[in-house]
Amino acid sequence: MNDVALFAIKFVGLGFAVAMFAMNLAVILTWVDRRQGAMIQDRVGPNRAVAWIPTPIAQGLAFGPAALLAVGVLAYCYKNEVTGPALEQRGMLFSQLAVLLFWLTGCVIASKVKARGARNSFDLWIQTLGEPRYIFFGGLAVHVALFFFSLMLRGGPSGATFTKITSGAGPALFALAALFGAGYAAFVIRKEKRVGLRLAGLLHPAADGLKTLFKEDFVPPNADKFLFNLAPFISFFPALVVLACVPFADTLCFATNAEGKIQLSQLASMVPRVGVCSEGALKIQAIDLNIGLLYFLAVGGTGIVGAALAGWASDNKYSLLGGLRAAGQMVSYEVTMGLTLIGMIMVYGTLQVDKMILWQQENTWGVFAQPLAFVLFFAAAVAESKRIPFDIPEGESEIVAGYFTEYAGMKFAMFFFAEYIAVVTASALMAAVFFGGWSLPFVFRDGIHLAVGNTPIFDAAMPHGGVVALGALAFILKTIVLCWLQLTIRWTLPRFRYDQLMRLGWRKLLPASLVNILLTGFVVMAIRTGGPTADHAMSVVANLCNLLLALGGLGLVVWFAIFMSTPRKIKQNLSTTSAQYAADAGGTRSLRMGA
Amino acid sequence: MTLDAKTLGPRKVSGVTVTRPGRGAGVQTYIPEIAKGLAITMKHFFQNTKEMALGQRNDPVLESIEDGINTLSYPEQRRPYPTRFRGLHRLTHRDDGSPRCVACLCCSTACPAQCIHIEAGEYPEGDPKRGYERFPTRFVIDELRCIFCGFCVEACPCDAIRMDTGMHAAPYDSRDQFIFEKDLMMSFPGRDGSHVTANPRHEPGESGHPGVDRSHGH
Repeated sequence: MNDVALFAIKFVGLGFAVAMFAMNLAVILTWVDRRQGAMIQDRVGPNRAVAWIPTPIAQGLAFGPAALLAVGVLAYCYKNEVTGPALEQRGMLFSQLAVLLFWLTGCVIASKVKARGARNSFDLWIQTLGEPRYIFFGGLAVHVALFFFSLMLRGGPSGATFTKITSGAGPALFALAALFGAGYAAFVIRKEKRVGLRLAGLLHPAADGLKTLFKEDFVPPNADKFLFNLAPFISFFPALVVLACVPFADTLCFATNAEGKIQLSQLASMVPRVGVCSEGALKIQAIDLNIGLLYFLAVGGTGIVGAALAGWASDNKYSLLGGLRAAGQMVSYEVTMGLTLIGMIMVYGTLQVDKMILWQQENTWGVFAQPLAFVLFFAAAVAESKRIPFDIPEGESEIVAGYFTEYAGMKFAMFFFAEYIAVVTASALMAAVFFGGWSLPFVFRDGIHLAVGNTPIFDAAMPHGGVVALGALAFILKTIVLCWLQLTIRWTLPRFRYDQLMRLGWRKLLPASLVNILLTGFVVMAIRTGGPTADHAMSVVANLCNLLLALGGLGLVVWFAIFMSTPRKIKQNLSTTSAQYAADAGGTRSLRMGA
Repeated sequence: MTLDAKTLGPRKVSGVTVTRPGRGAGVQTYIPEIAKGLAITMKHFFQNTKEMALGQRNDPVLESIEDGINTLSYPEQRRPYPTRFRGLHRLTHRDDGSPRCVACLCCSTACPAQCIHIEAGEYPEGDPKRGYERFPTRFVIDELRCIFCGFCVEACPCDAIRMDTGMHAAPYDSRDQFIFEKDLMMSFPGRDGSHVTANPRHEPGESGHPGVDRSHGH
């Protein structure tokens, strides 16, 4: 049983997870690209798709999982008795989760009530708490207070009492919060005949995908039918599989049995800070290749063939031009891409992405070590995915739709998808190589160690499972932020001309990447010949970078939360009677203006 | 005149020299400019998202997924017009229900579109108003010619014509339906629902009458 599960996880599950990660994120990106790009201009993107669900089923969907979760958590916590640090950690985790769930539910309900008005006594009560953001601030305060209480009381006799309270009440409160939120939702919709499931418009890309499956599969009469049909697959496949060399989270350590096989049910509770467990290690990576980045470059490069084939096989002048442009552009920028990665390989001394991330965990993020390389790689990666401002292969104002002019239905959708998957894979690779992958500043395999040079500032142990889960979350978040940055570039910049594109690639980015290699070589040599003094100085610099990162990141998150929760002061200049009249009537676009 | 180098050649032009906007390193490398552009895009995105999330503006998403389309069901629902909106004309009433108009022709004289036609009538012999004021036997406004400038209302010395009905002309079938007669315009109430105006009118002979009449002679 264990062997079968292990095999499933190692060879099927991880590959499947990687493919699903890329494809789902790509679907979400197609939606985000249209929807948010529209919202910048005050328009609405695609959002009409809806699945109508009868109210009892919707109530079940809301309440059932929450009830299962609550019962599961309670059963797990009160059946598996633990003691010592594990109990403390469990109490802390569930109390913090309960607080999180409470303020999140409170915020959602309060903003709903603010939008639609109070409908029951609970709504009236929550209105008395004031703006939804006050609930959020209160929740944050409770989070911080819990954290500092646990730190202050740790070790003493009152610490034991505190642990008893958190471990006893935490799971119960968590279950209560989950049940309450779901129960409220089920209660509010009780009078509706049916409930529309829209997932914030996310059903729309699903509906679009379904639609493309049923569209006419058109092949131009004089096209090369075999190559025409082959091209979308050739362009789709490499974009999907390059993600296999990127690890999603830290290596998991399990206990092993007498034969040296991994026991999946026994996850190590704590692991040492350095080194990977000698046996029982499970890498969260589809394939563990020692050539790492070379695999990315090699497989990623074959995507050119798909675009070029599509352009040639379509029997269309525009397609041919688009295919030529795509081939020329991708070959040019692949050079820069490879050469910038050479600088990173010199710094890290390895080709394997997981070892690169370990280096970044011990030192600092790659973007601090190689800032120029990041800018160059980012530009080259955007060019590789053939997106604005480098989208001349499909420049619709010049050559209709470029190399996929003749494609329709699902084959068109595959090109479209490949583009977004390329965005996801490039972002994931950049997150791994330049932004520390699953590592967070000062978070190590055994917990948080905040130190500058040799002076420790703060230490806290964390369970192995928690560290790995946090790392996976961090990796996904970093990937999403980088994807979003690429989309923002698309919403901002105009398209290059073909000669500008080539000049940028060959005369600016390529020499810059060569200079980068030269400088990196000098610096690496200098540090190596400098001996322990240089090593120590560099580690202090790395720690300071991490400190900057941690403080800056926290500050940014807090600032962003405050910015997003504080209403904008709108200065209304009602200089005309019509403006005053419309404002009195609740605005010209409001439903409230009646006869 | 012969065309030679002197006439065709460059002439000296006087004026202030404006320096070209600089193309310094920031512009040439393109990267700071990209950052500026991205900052603007992000500002718009986050501000719009925030205002929608906090309910400071109508959420275009929610608004459009509500059942039906967010339009006005005219004529049951109407767009609110400002208080000073100039709508169709009405003729105000006296206390006895007759028009306040004295057929002085000020409005039709002031009308730039020449859309007001008044035929004045004399009161019968023996009526105290005879020789003092007249009344309109016909009062016609061509609402198609009218440009809704409001000059007639300004010109009227008796507050007899007003444009405070809050109505706009409905699309009729034929042009002669836009020719509004006296009775029709007298049937329109103002926005407050009344046919009179707040400005009091004092008939000749009443104690509050400010002007001249027969009894208080010239």
